Amino acid sequence: MNLMKKIISIILALAFVSTGFGQIEKGNMLIKNGTVLTVTKGTMENTDVLVKDGKIAQVGKNIATPAGVKVIDATGLYVMPGIIDAHSHIGLDAINEGTNAITPEVYTGDVINPFQTSIYRALAGGCTISHALHGSANSIGGQSQTIKHRYGVFDPDQLKMEGAPRTIKFALGENPTGHGRRDGVQPQSRMGVEFVIRKAFSEAKEYMTKWDAYNKNKAVKGFRGAPPAYNLRMETLADILRDRIILHCHSYRADEIQMLLRVCKDFGIKRVVFQHTNEGFKVAPELAAAGAMASVFADWWQYKLEVYYSTAYNAAILVRNGVVTSINSDSPDLIRHLYHEAGKTQKYGGLSDDEALSLITINPAKQLGIESRVGSIEVGKDADFAIFKNHPLSIYGVPQYSIVDGIVRFDREKDPADMRLMPEPRETIDVTFFESGHVHDNCMQGVAGELLFEESGSENK
Amino acid sequence: MKFSMRSILMAVVMLTPAWLRAQDEVDLKPVTRTYAITNVNIIQGPGRKIEMGTILLKDGLIVNAGKGIAIPSDAVVIKADSMYAYAGFIDGLTRAGVTKPKEEQREKVKDPGNPTPERAGITPQTDVRAFLNPADKGLEELRNLGFTTVQVVPYGNFLPGQSAIVNTAGSSGDAMVLINKASLYSEFTPAQGVYPATVLGVMSKYRDLYRQAAQAKSYEALYASNRNGLERPANDKILEAFYPVIDQRVPVLFRTEKLLDANRAMTLKNDLGFSLVLADLKDGWPLINKIKSSGARVFLSLDLPEELKKDSKKDAKDSKASTPAQVEKEALDKRKAEAIANYTAQAAAFQKAGVPFGFTSMSAKSKDIQANLRRMIAAGLPEDAALAALTTTPAQMLGLSDRMGTIDNGKMANLVISDKPYFNEKAKVRYVFVDGVAYKMEVKETKKSDPNAKVEIEGSWSTVTQGPQGNSDGKVVFKKDGSGYSGTVSGGRLTSPVDLQSVSLDGNSLTYSYTVTFGSNSVKIDVEVSVEGDSFKGTTTAGRFGSSSIEGTRDPKK
Repeated sequence: MNLMKKIISIILALAFVSTGFGQIEKGNMLIKNGTVLTVTKGTMENTDVLVKDGKIAQVGKNIATPAGVKVIDATGLYVMPGIIDAHSHIGLDAINEGTNAITPEVYTGDVINPFQTSIYRALAGGCTISHALHGSANSIGGQSQTIKHRYGVFDPDQLKMEGAPRTIKFALGENPTGHGRRDGVQPQSRMGVEFVIRKAFSEAKEYMTKWDAYNKNKAVKGFRGAPPAYNLRMETLADILRDRIILHCHSYRADEIQMLLRVCKDFGIKRVVFQHTNEGFKVAPELAAAGAMASVFADWWQYKLEVYYSTAYNAAILVRNGVVTSINSDSPDLIRHLYHEAGKTQKYGGLSDDEALSLITINPAKQLGIESRVGSIEVGKDADFAIFKNHPLSIYGVPQYSIVDGIVRFDREKDPADMRLMPEPRETIDVTFFESGHVHDNCMQGVAGELLFEESGSENK
Repeated sequence: MKFSMRSILMAVVMLTPAWLRAQDEVDLKPVTRTYAITNVNIIQGPGRKIEMGTILLKDGLIVNAGKGIAIPSDAVVIKADSMYAYAGFIDGLTRAGVTKPKEEQREKVKDPGNPTPERAGITPQTDVRAFLNPADKGLEELRNLGFTTVQVVPYGNFLPGQSAIVNTAGSSGDAMVLINKASLYSEFTPAQGVYPATVLGVMSKYRDLYRQAAQAKSYEALYASNRNGLERPANDKILEAFYPVIDQRVPVLFRTEKLLDANRAMTLKNDLGFSLVLADLKDGWPLINKIKSSGARVFLSLDLPEELKKDSKKDAKDSKASTPAQVEKEALDKRKAEAIANYTAQAAAFQKAGVPFGFTSMSAKSKDIQANLRRMIAAGLPEDAALAALTTTPAQMLGLSDRMGTIDNGKMANLVISDKPYFNEKAKVRYVFVDGVAYKMEVKETKKSDPNAKVEIEGSWSTVTQGPQGNSDGKVVFKKDGSGYSGTVSGGRLTSPVDLQSVSLDGNSLTYSYTVTFGSNSVKIDVEVSVEGDSFKGTTTAGRFGSSSIEGTRDPKK
């Protein structure tokens, strides 16, 4: 079993070399004398963390400083794992290919923009990893990419978290149906959403069957015949059915959550994470039983009809029912203070420190399939940290450093006013900002105005 | 003293030697196709110079270049005394010479998720020859700069069609063509409101089509080898257009102005395995090494962002920024200046990194190209490297080294001859030979502008600008300001008057410029007119949005 794992990791490593991830910068450092919030292994006072080649090499007291290694004095500071956001759209040049109800073939990894300063702003809030999701304009949106906030690199491929599993975005409810009504195509109702998803999976099953038969026949000597027509859309759907892609589904209402659980059961899909899940509290036992996870807002709702029935206790109820739960941002603003969002679950639901911190660290890591690499401070994991003055769950918590792979990517002391990597030579920037006008990071981006008006200027969740 | 425009033109035509081609002439066979260009500094190629030699052209070919060459009796002798001759320049990507198809009234697509291939922008089978027009003005402008060979592509969205390598002149579209179907041209331009409507969709549709084509191609091969027991392969003009690319007989020519587009094209190259040409690149310096190791061929854009104007008046007044807003503005301007410097130094950076490159005029304005080359040289690009990027390197990259790129015996008679070394600020192109046909450039001063005219412009003028959305009325007011003029412009789409940035009056030729801001975008408007009494006529150019004609009349004094 272990050998198998080794072989797989070698194959993966080779694959990355050939797909051109390039040399990702990894650092060495010693973080000295901090209060280390490991999240999974308790809190350790006056503790050092040694980083070698981008990985956590040792956690303990009085670790000798290796020669020439950068030292961060964390005396009086809190060291937590880098914050992970399971739902974001920062760092992308396009978010919605919303022209068709079913577009699993598209992939946000193709449109990463490492120059967006929103990545740096996320770092300034201690967030080191985000899930760069496709938007929610259509029922089956696009494949998405987990990115590490290595702000400062110019190669978009270097933001991709090497080895992170493939994920895909689905969407239920008003967003995809509003789209269908606009274009006069399916789906125009919640029933239609279920239908287009089931239809897509059924077609993919047929496609798989055809290819399996062809490949079997091809092996027979003397076989004559044409292969089934290649189709990237069907290939991708087939990969979902083969459990090669984690499904992330935009959803609000309990009925639609139940619906997708049934669809997944019928098609043998095991790994499902519900996004938003505002009515998750109504179906928490069902989610837990299905092994489905939930990524929610702390207290954000009422921006459209389907989001009225909500509660700030949602996360706590889900946690208490044994659902792996995270709190996400879906916003270039909220991503800068996810620690506040997590803290709200202590007021609304009384979660413990470790439970609350799990919502923005190890739990989103589980939802993205990267929990063996990040999400807690443990030897062997990636050296991704957020270092705070005051406890991160306190309203007085202020991020001081954000570290990715042992490289300091944000340092509050050295925080230049202008962090743009590629300023536009033809762009005129007004000195006084009346209005940010930045609407490009939200999940209905690229969707025509008629869909947006009903959401009355919200961030269009 | 009064000459009509027509009589001036007649005079010019009559004075023009018969061997110089005018485009609308009756197509008579030239008396001779032999030319001797004498007393000329011959820059045979980068670093190869013959001082005061002779170039002999015959029947469209260079037959000799050097010193002490005997001049045949049938040769037209061009005394290019002390001028400089270079091999004709090559442009890696342009739409000059290509007619834009008329926009048809488009029906609403029933299902935006499943448009026709044409609406989706999938027309890789399109042959650019159908759209070639040798009389195109853009083509003439490039020729006047010394370009003799250009790679042209059809209009369209993400898969517009096949490129062709053509001469910048010819008796017909077909006659211009050197290599047809030279590459499969691609962009990241999505379709409008239908799939693929974003670069997300373009990337995946590209993969989908390419893999379908590879599959169809290999099935066709299987069928051709033994038809027995196999269903007949379907005919598909779209997929077939990919076959030469899959065979690596031709490359994919990708327009990638921005670094991230270049990276996307390299991603597709990695995924699909085609040979790649990155064209019209403007900001590629951060990923030079990646581009280098990808093996992609590179054409850099001849377009550069405009240099920041130093506002001397302001500098003197507020030598020290005092308010936070001023400090911020200065910092922003500094970064902007750095960005402009980086764009300008892109070519030098590629040269230093040892990545061979050519140039493209695709998004550059013809009138800026010579100045932009000089700016690149000033930013560290050696002159020889600039020349190589205009001649030998593109010749090599396009597989034309045996035919062009240097002034050597047996190559095509493609030449550019300038009165000063080409990269000199005062250099003017005097002759261009395209495939053995001579074009003489009239020196500008003979135009209708009169440097000695005495013209007064002070006061208010009413202007009419002809735009694509119809005419627009405006006002421009000039005021005496020391020895020069200042002024304001208003009307049109402007909500309030805008100060003119510069006004210059030289004889009767008047130029002025101003900047229009829409939200965070600003566009500089350049107006160039000549004044006749109480009216002026000329052109107004709005950056990359193109030019339109403008006329003005002086308002009566109140």
